[in-house]
Amino acid sequence: MVIVRRKELSLRERLYLPEIARGLSITFRKLFEKPITRQYPEEPLPKNEVTRGQPRLVVKDDGNIACVSCGMCEIACPAYAITIDGGETDRPIEREPKKFEIDMLRCILCGFCEEACPKDAIFMSDELELADYSRAALIYDLEKLKRPKSALQKRIDYVYRLNNRWRKSSSTS
Amino acid sequence: MSPELLEIVVWIVKVHVIFLGMVGVAAITTLAERKVSAWMQYRHGPTRVGPQGLLQPLADGVKFIFKESLVPDGANKWMFRFAPALAAGPAMLTVAVIPFGPDVTLFGVTTPFSIVDLDIGLMYILAIGGLSVYGVIVGGWASNSKYSLLGGLRASAQMVSYELSMILAILSVVAISGSLDLREVVMQQKTLGEWNILYQPVAFLLFLIAAFAETNRHPFDFAECEPELVSGFHTEYSAMRFALFALGEYCAMVVMSSVAVALWFGGFSVPFMPEAHWTLGILAFCAKVTCFLFFFLWVRWTLPRFRFDQLMNLGWKVMLPIALVHLFITGAVISFAPQLKSLWNGLVNGAS
Repeated sequence: MVIVRRKELSLRERLYLPEIARGLSITFRKLFEKPITRQYPEEPLPKNEVTRGQPRLVVKDDGNIACVSCGMCEIACPAYAITIDGGETDRPIEREPKKFEIDMLRCILCGFCEEACPKDAIFMSDELELADYSRAALIYDLEKLKRPKSALQKRIDYVYRLNNRWRKSSSTS
Repeated sequence: MSPELLEIVVWIVKVHVIFLGMVGVAAITTLAERKVSAWMQYRHGPTRVGPQGLLQPLADGVKFIFKESLVPDGANKWMFRFAPALAAGPAMLTVAVIPFGPDVTLFGVTTPFSIVDLDIGLMYILAIGGLSVYGVIVGGWASNSKYSLLGGLRASAQMVSYELSMILAILSVVAISGSLDLREVVMQQKTLGEWNILYQPVAFLLFLIAAFAETNRHPFDFAECEPELVSGFHTEYSAMRFALFALGEYCAMVVMSSVAVALWFGGFSVPFMPEAHWTLGILAFCAKVTCFLFFFLWVRWTLPRFRFDQLMNLGWKVMLPIALVHLFITGAVISFAPQLKSLWNGLVNGAS
């Protein structure tokens, strides 16, 4: 059993007023300190390549996407957010998606599509904001998903670094 | 224009300037409250409406006007509708006797800058200001809600206990200045050495504490104690009726600050400039009142709320005896040793 005895207040403390003055001085000093609130839409969140934002398709330097519509990401996706309709193309890779849709309302930003992709075509971007006036507008098609490679370069490098480390550690064990 | 007509016109202009100025200040104080609280807690406060959020009171006002004003089913409808006016009215009425500035000369007309100069101004303020608690009680009673009723009851108990100490504290000042006319009291404090705060600091402290209780401000805002009473007497109020309660509270703050300034801090007298122009006088008064308003906000965001029994203890067992003894000593000194005042006066003015 613990007996907690109340601390006897000194005369100074029982008078209230000196302690009130002390409290007031503290709050007055805080008045001039810089606010720590982030003014969100104007001051965006700090992002880095580790952030898993919404998946985007890489547009290579020649203007084409790397996707060959193999459907690996479609299968990997635990939320069934990806729908791919493949078709033929005259380019040497012979196949490309005619339709590539990600339902952003279903996407859980897990990054499995990025891991599954054998052609380094899909990567998680740092885009996190998602708002629109209808559900249909939030099903992103090819045009909305395309991003230039330069915009995703940091993430691509990071994924390569991560994969290399994983390979090394698995080979030694 | 005949002199009578001119007097009426001047009077109407004064009423409008002072009353609208008052409501404007009350509105700005609501913004100041949010800003000061924010800065003390490392936040920004309202920033969206207008530059730095300066138009926030306007947006609030528009919102209050357009919201639905609900009347609860079990409420006493007419009392419920009447209570906000009863709370805000007295606070606005008391503005009438406050001397905001010295004699103003504009367009060749000279007039004292207050709506009326009652020779019993202080009595008027205490009498009318005391009425504002009825708004709270009636509002709490008519809402037919247990929270509101408790809030109203607490408000009445609190007002009764603190009004006494407040009147006694004011009486001490009245005793040394010999007048109930606020303008007269201010006129007696022309220079810094004559400010009553130097002669009656204890009375000022008592008045200050009582003023917090009278205006229902922290740390004595038991009538609207959020954690226990869910905003107390105005739990059931919405829209403009709710806003009127808030307006009444802020107007009461301005009046209390003005009374404190007039009684203890030389009112519209400018320090070191006894013969200053009237514009400076009004500015000095506004600056002093602003300091007090800031103090109200500052205390609110520093101190936690008292416990209700502590409030009653403080009111009856500490403040009232001190106020009584203080008034007694003041009276004794004035009657039997009036030379003490001139001695103290010499000391103060020699030092400053």
